[in-house]
Amino acid sequence: MVAMEVDSERKLVQRKQSLYQSLDESFGIQKEVYRGQQYSQIYFARLHLMRTLLYSLLPNWKPHLPVCTVLGLEEGKECIIVGTLYKHMKLKPSILDEYSKERSVSPLVQRHNFTHQDDNLVLEDESGRVKLNSCLLLPSTYVTGNIVALHGKETSAGEFLVEDVLEPGLPQQIERPIQLGEDKYVVFISGLSVGRSSSNPLQFQLFVDHITGHLGDEKEQNVAAQVVQVVIAGNSIEVPHGLLNGQNLGSKDQSKLFEPIKELDIMLTQIAASIPLDIMPGSSDPANFSLPQQPLHRCLFPGSSAYNTFRSCTNPHCFELENIRFLGTSGQNIDDLGKYSKANNNIEFMERTLRWRHLAPTAPNTLGCYPFTDRDPFYVETCPHVYFVGNQDKYESRLIKGSEGQMVMLICIPRFAETGVTVVLNIRNFECHMLSFATQIHS
Amino acid sequence: MNNGKSRKRSAQAAEETPSPQPPQKHHAAMEEEDLDEDVFLEETLLQYEEDSAVLRELEESHALNERLQKWKRPPLSQAYVSHTQSISFQQLEIDYIIGDSHKELLPTSSGQAAILRIFGVTKEGNSVCCHVHGFEPYFYISCPPGMGPDDISRFHQVLEGRMRESNRNSNVTKFIRRIEVVQKRSIMYYQQHVSQPFLKIVVALPAMVTSCRGILDRGIQIEGLGMKSFLTYESNILFALRFMIDCNIVGGNWIEVPVGKYKKAAKNLSYCQLEFDCLYSDLISHSPEGEFSKMAPFRILSFDIECAGRKGHFPEPTQDPVIQVANLVTLQGQDQPLIRNVMTLKSCSPIVGVDVMSFDTEKEVLLAWRNLIREVDPDIIIGYNICNFDLPYLIRRAEVLGMAEFPVLGRIRNSRVRVKDATFSSRQHGTRESKEITIEGRVKFDLFQAVQRDYKLSSYSLNSVSAHFLNEQKEDVHHSIISDLQNGNSETRRRLAVYCLKDAYLPQRLLDKLMFIYNYVEMARVTGVPISFLLSRGQSIKVLSQLLRKAKQKNLVIPNAKQAGSEQGTFEGATVLEARTGFYEKPIATLDFASLYPSIMMAYNLCYCTLVTPEEVRKLNLPPECVNKTPSGETFVKSNLQKGILPEILEELLAARKRAKADLKEATDPRVKAVLDGRQLALKISANSVYGFTGATVGQLPCLEISSSVTSYGRQMIEHTKKLVEDKFTVLGGYEHNAEVIYGDTDSVMVQFSVPTVEEAMKLGREAADYISGTFIKPIRLEFEKIYYPYLLISKKRYAGLLWTNPDKHDKMDAKGIETVRRDNCLLVKNLVTECLYKILVDRDIPGAVQYVKNTIADLLLNRMDLSLLVITKGLTKTGDDYEVKAAHVELAERMRKRDAATAPGIGDRVPYVIIKAAKGAKAYEKSEDPIYVLENNIPIDAQYYLDNQISKPLLRIFEPILKNASKELLKGDHTRAISVPTPSNSGIMKFAKKQLTCIGCKIPLSGSDRTICNHCKGREAELYCRSVANVAELENLFGRLWTQCQECQGSLHQDVLCTSRDCPIFYRRKKAQKDMAEAKTQLDRWNF
Repeated sequence: MVAMEVDSERKLVQRKQSLYQSLDESFGIQKEVYRGQQYSQIYFARLHLMRTLLYSLLPNWKPHLPVCTVLGLEEGKECIIVGTLYKHMKLKPSILDEYSKERSVSPLVQRHNFTHQDDNLVLEDESGRVKLNSCLLLPSTYVTGNIVALHGKETSAGEFLVEDVLEPGLPQQIERPIQLGEDKYVVFISGLSVGRSSSNPLQFQLFVDHITGHLGDEKEQNVAAQVVQVVIAGNSIEVPHGLLNGQNLGSKDQSKLFEPIKELDIMLTQIAASIPLDIMPGSSDPANFSLPQQPLHRCLFPGSSAYNTFRSCTNPHCFELENIRFLGTSGQNIDDLGKYSKANNNIEFMERTLRWRHLAPTAPNTLGCYPFTDRDPFYVETCPHVYFVGNQDKYESRLIKGSEGQMVMLICIPRFAETGVTVVLNIRNFECHMLSFATQIHS
Repeated sequence: MNNGKSRKRSAQAAEETPSPQPPQKHHAAMEEEDLDEDVFLEETLLQYEEDSAVLRELEESHALNERLQKWKRPPLSQAYVSHTQSISFQQLEIDYIIGDSHKELLPTSSGQAAILRIFGVTKEGNSVCCHVHGFEPYFYISCPPGMGPDDISRFHQVLEGRMRESNRNSNVTKFIRRIEVVQKRSIMYYQQHVSQPFLKIVVALPAMVTSCRGILDRGIQIEGLGMKSFLTYESNILFALRFMIDCNIVGGNWIEVPVGKYKKAAKNLSYCQLEFDCLYSDLISHSPEGEFSKMAPFRILSFDIECAGRKGHFPEPTQDPVIQVANLVTLQGQDQPLIRNVMTLKSCSPIVGVDVMSFDTEKEVLLAWRNLIREVDPDIIIGYNICNFDLPYLIRRAEVLGMAEFPVLGRIRNSRVRVKDATFSSRQHGTRESKEITIEGRVKFDLFQAVQRDYKLSSYSLNSVSAHFLNEQKEDVHHSIISDLQNGNSETRRRLAVYCLKDAYLPQRLLDKLMFIYNYVEMARVTGVPISFLLSRGQSIKVLSQLLRKAKQKNLVIPNAKQAGSEQGTFEGATVLEARTGFYEKPIATLDFASLYPSIMMAYNLCYCTLVTPEEVRKLNLPPECVNKTPSGETFVKSNLQKGILPEILEELLAARKRAKADLKEATDPRVKAVLDGRQLALKISANSVYGFTGATVGQLPCLEISSSVTSYGRQMIEHTKKLVEDKFTVLGGYEHNAEVIYGDTDSVMVQFSVPTVEEAMKLGREAADYISGTFIKPIRLEFEKIYYPYLLISKKRYAGLLWTNPDKHDKMDAKGIETVRRDNCLLVKNLVTECLYKILVDRDIPGAVQYVKNTIADLLLNRMDLSLLVITKGLTKTGDDYEVKAAHVELAERMRKRDAATAPGIGDRVPYVIIKAAKGAKAYEKSEDPIYVLENNIPIDAQYYLDNQISKPLLRIFEPILKNASKELLKGDHTRAISVPTPSNSGIMKFAKKQLTCIGCKIPLSGSDRTICNHCKGREAELYCRSVANVAELENLFGRLWTQCQECQGSLHQDVLCTSRDCPIFYRRKKAQKDMAEAKTQLDRWNF
């Protein structure tokens, strides 16, 4: 959209443009208000959506088996039940303990993972709960909030012996456009953490200069000109904790608060002046806590928000670029899975959320979430082509294929302030690589 | 048995009418007044056949038959059926009944006699009812000197005549069976002669003991001797206990009846699988050792009922139906229940793993439950507050419905349960009113009573008890909602059923977790009383039982010396050494006397039978080396002249405890461990209660000479220890520092050796304990147990410190007498005190503690305190008119009733309230308000009240030893200057106020087109926005965590949370979060311009 002159004397390098369409609507909370509603309704909505879906898959899975509700189970009778999983967790921290238990002498150790070998799963639908007994359905893989169809039978002990599991699987994908003729790059960055004492402003400036074409030779500038979109996936600002809940701030504190926001605005203005920019809120940003997080307020970005290339988005964020569908979060959904379940790497968690067709199954149980009454915005109706997650430990990517020919590129975007790494995706051929701006290289 | 022929009871019980009438008042059951009350077999039996049409219908149903198969006990083995096996069973309950004496077993006697019934379970799980014949009630009097056999027979006649006079209504042919001369000795006072003649008076029926005692107490005219009153001996022992003592049976032990010695009952009177008659002399009582220390597989039924109350009223059996009964049957020693079912009125959706039984009428529900009891045949019935609520409610309800066949819940066919009001009062537990319900052959164990008895908690609601012990919050459905759920559909009733089941499940979990079965059975075995006594009676019956057993061995008899409840003079209690208050930052060693009072009684041979009266001292002229003169001036002989039986009991108890502890170490099987641990605990408690028994002035056999001697020795020892420590551990004595005793309690002494490390203090502590122990008579021993470091001594009986038992790491923080669990304090006090102690003792950060207090006070004054921390809760026991003084919670309940009768607390409910700001001069009771109402209407809290009346005293207590000017520093500093009071939304003035948007930054009213902030604040936009959004973020986080926690507690994701448990620490927070969230969101939305 915006052409940029890099070197007027020599050759004009034209920035490539692309077609962009925002699909954030379902993540917005506009008319919804807190009216005393509880979380049962979102679970209900989720179960309803997913069950309809799972029922439609049953004819291809086990058409011969009857479908039961938890209540309708009869001992020894093989059947299929569909419901929400609930995981009993021994180590799960409870807010009750915070309030009711006397201080123990040894301070509680903060855990990174709350799974335990004694954890067990329960399946629940509107009619009731049944304890599951299975070696197929690993408690360490699943979390509270997953919806699955189970084949099995009730034992004499009143448990449900699971023989097979059906997950929703990858959703249908809109057809990928015919291959583009030219390279176009999307750059992902997350965890800028401007305002953190350890963050290095030079690193960020390097990045900005690089993608705006202020660095490197002609070849590199040509590459930079092929960047058609920058996505900032959360945690751009780190406001010193405790500055915001006191009385009116003194001028010194005000500047402490302001400085990082201003600094970020300046940098973003530089980007927005040349490249379309999507910024998503993350857990450390001045945004609301519950998912979906609402766009960062424009009053925070007086400079950059003047450009129409600057788009403040929701988290999760969904958009289409050249008819390629992107879906991503700032990382909370994957981090929470990491606390309450186990996987070999974070890509695996990402893959699971797609197969479960649900971005954030642990919401609302352990992940903050707005108490929706009639919908579940985290339900993944259409399979994206690119699925990204911000604020991860390291860069990882993987192309996965679905049973119906779906192809999804999964990308973990590392925290920039810690790693100096951004991720570049070529939407022509889905090639993905990282781009490091680490200013200090440790051997 | 002659059916249908109704006979009158003996005279003293004549005014008592048999059941179906409302329960009678009976207030005589003070613990020192145990009377036998003869129950005549035929009277309790129903006179018509039980099967009503409903029942027949039920039994015909296929479903029921199937259930019955599951419910029944295991069948009898062939050996039992053919009587070729001796019957060995663990007994749980022993009572007696008056019936005709057994013609075969007792061919010589006739007429009515007391028949003992022992109920129990064999190791195969078969239920047993054993009728024991031939044991007769008796007591002793001392034989007047010079009484020959003729005199005795004359005496017999006179007494028989007097008995007949006072028991006119009785048709017993012979009241006094016989009078025998026996050689015995009174337990009271040291006597040089070995024995003297006593008369053993054997009466026909147990209740006659009391009647006969009365006659002898008042005096009787005897030819040749004139009017003479007699001191009776052992005339106050319950018949069942008498039997147990004489047959060497202790509570909960195993009894064996050899083959051939039992006769199968001619007609089965009970529902037990094995029912037989035998002679008391043929019973073999096994002491609880080895194989016989195990537990039989008892069936334990845990149940809970739900009633549909009317709006605004607590359910009453005269009006409100029983709508659900949940039952759980567990075999003793197993983890999983055998049977899980719920009986509901009207349809109820199924529940996984639970047998849901739905009925159309309430009668059917009640009958189904009765059938369950009969078929399952539980040995122990447990529940929460069943004795005062569930059971009386069911019984009264059945009466209202005219179901005469319902209350046949015991093990005796056609015999109804008996209900009476009782007052239980004891020194230790205070006075409690309760219902006494007799379910023949089954032990009732009310977890509510047990927990209340054994643990000190701030609240005894099932919710907070399970939160405390099981770490589990329970969903609490208000009784006003219960009716709504019942009137809904089968889904809402299912919801209720799940709740009801949980209430039946929790008592079982508590029973397991707190090892009540093991501990109570062991206590019964150690003290020798039936298990049912342990809950319904005080401490003294346990000591009396042991004393009687021991006395019997020694051929001693115990006088029935009633002190008529008088205060027989008070004696000096245990004093404590002056506390040198302060904050000690050097290790303080604690020297404890191990079981001090029992040791003193053993060391100085203090007993009833070693006490020498002052006259006797003069008369006997005992050599000084044979007596001990106690510091309180009493004289006791030493054990070489006469060994005391209290010391002997104590020795056995302590030796047994030592054995149990040693076995406990060896044991590997968790069940055996549980038994042993229960035993050693029971032994310890028993040993300690002996001293109390001698000092209980309204007790069975008080002897203040003993108790005051014990305490005076105790005082002397504490003083002695202090002197020795301070004399020996000095710089002069070669130690680095002078030791100082800073405090001494009943049985412990705190010493500061002034050494800097825990390790050194431990070494010196051990040395001191060994050295001082050497100066005491055995078995008195001073032990070094623990170090407090640091140690905050506030005043006597109030202290806190970190406890160390090994030099590497402290064990825990220990606090005594500091308000952490008082009921009438709000949570804020507890949290503040705990946190301060933690900061002072563990973090060693006194400035931090001070700052914490200041911050908390500032938060309170600035209205930033979480409301739930300020809630004070009191139980509503009667209506407002009945209270003499106006009380805050009563007034509030009255006000709430005017607002909405449906949700207002009723009698029996606990009323939570907060103190609010009110007009000047308002009375304290007028300032109480419902926390929810306060939340909803933004009513200001009276922070000053909380500061002055709640937190100041406990805080000053802690800080005064540490800080100079604590009061000024903590309660009056800068942090108390800023005060914020919200405007209530319901106050009069607000009705006239016009709402206008104000600037988020400076609160100036906005004009024109501005909707968020004024022109002046435009520059601070980002800051103000960040603040708004941070507030929202924080609330969202809280909102999410609180509401998902409640989903977790209620055990369902797809249903709304209904719980209204005000005991739950997050109940108000949850409400507040919901309200704050809505407000904060509206505020944030104003930025969307």
